Amino acid sequence: MSHPTHDPHGPVTRPGETADQALEHSAAHDHADGHADDHAHGGIGKYLLVFLALCGLTTMSFLTYSPAWPWRDQPQVGWAFMMAVSCTKAMLVVLFFMHVLWEANWKYVLTIPAAMMAIFLAIMLIPDIGMRNRMVSQERALHMARVSDVKLLEKAAEAAADAAAH
Amino acid sequence: MNASAISLPHGHGHDDGHGHHGHLTLQYQPGLPLSKGKLIMWLFLSTEIMFFAALLGSYVVLRFGAAVWPKPHHVHLSEPIGAFNTFVLICSSVTIVLALEAARVNKVGLAKAWMLLTLLLGTLFLGIKAYEYQSKFSHGIYPWAPRGLIYERPDLYYGSAVRARLGQPAMIDRLKELDDTPTDRLSADQVAGRTRLQQVRKMVASPDQQAFDLAVVADQIMPLPAEGAAHGEGHGGGHGGGLNDVFPWLRLPIVIPGGNMWASTYFLMTGFHAIHVLVGLIVFAILLGYRLDAKRAGMIENAGLYWHFVDLVWIFLFPLLYLF
Repeated sequence: MSHPTHDPHGPVTRPGETADQALEHSAAHDHADGHADDHAHGGIGKYLLVFLALCGLTTMSFLTYSPAWPWRDQPQVGWAFMMAVSCTKAMLVVLFFMHVLWEANWKYVLTIPAAMMAIFLAIMLIPDIGMRNRMVSQERALHMARVSDVKLLEKAAEAAADAAAH
Repeated sequence: MNASAISLPHGHGHDDGHGHHGHLTLQYQPGLPLSKGKLIMWLFLSTEIMFFAALLGSYVVLRFGAAVWPKPHHVHLSEPIGAFNTFVLICSSVTIVLALEAARVNKVGLAKAWMLLTLLLGTLFLGIKAYEYQSKFSHGIYPWAPRGLIYERPDLYYGSAVRARLGQPAMIDRLKELDDTPTDRLSADQVAGRTRLQQVRKMVASPDQQAFDLAVVADQIMPLPAEGAAHGEGHGGGHGGGLNDVFPWLRLPIVIPGGNMWASTYFLMTGFHAIHVLVGLIVFAILLGYRLDAKRAGMIENAGLYWHFVDLVWIFLFPLLYLF
């Protein structure tokens, strides 16, 4: 307690100080001591590396479009791949650009519950929204697009192409 | 705030040196080791996570629960444009981080330059988005009905909608004018288009209409490009552009199976994202009015956190909308 800035529980407010001022003091002290340097963890080189990785990953999403992609007849594989790429990109942005990598443990308190709520929310939509077409009224079925409609349109396009060729 | 060390005036353990004669001295430490502004920004961002999770979650659930969903090129989405916009946002994420780093070491001019670049990149993103919206609008794809021309299937309702449009008094005049125009005053596309339009008019009005006829009508008005034509600008099918493209004033109803739900979710998600971008740009414009030195680093960091979040949302929107 005699050295407030070395308190293992984090920065301590001195009498008459606001919490923000205490943080500032603590940061200044740490800076002078050379540990927990506020600027060392960023670094322009690291940011540029992350930037290049993000660009590379964006290009990688297009791999599923290339003829070399082996799962062209199974779009689900491509979707899973693109989501994996997106999650990797998101993690890079959150960890490096948003400095979460270097934050204290409070980051878990805020992000994990929010992420869990987000996942629950999506799951809760499945029965009513995702499965809405399992049981539909005749009225709705009448106006709803079906795979047969797409097939019919494709056949019409083929017929038009044939007519244009002759 | 937790009271971490309380020096009681009459206590036994006067181990610290500043408990003076009955004065209650309190030492506080912040509950979370971060500034108030940053804490509030993170709390706000965690609500934003849930907001966009609701939108993205609904989209995924709606999409995979739908019997038919349009392919990106059916609704005139261009993957290269989307990828370029992704690149623009990633660049702006880097520039705002660099602005923060410059401000931390008191390089005021440099910080301002990076901030300005971020503002410009964000504006470029919105510009491209506006162009994309325009290309949807020009094809009759709107988020809701009064202007939207989308029909789900080439059925009798569609046929009667085409007939109703062709039967409007203004359209009758316009069509008569087109029929009377000498061939040499029309382009080759328009001449071919006029013949196709005459066939369509005949097919729509015919009393012994087959289901296939209406599919042909829909294909003539706005063909759905085939899978292979995804990257070419051509309209696939090998029969030129749709009639709505050849004669933009026609604005005949079009068929995109699953198109209405697609339009609702597309405009909702990209619209909310664009509003977030706009808010970010306003914040940057305000920050540009300040001296961006180490004292403002906290403000820049908070604005940056928000901006990275906006980038984050786009990272998921791009593949979901353009590549799936």
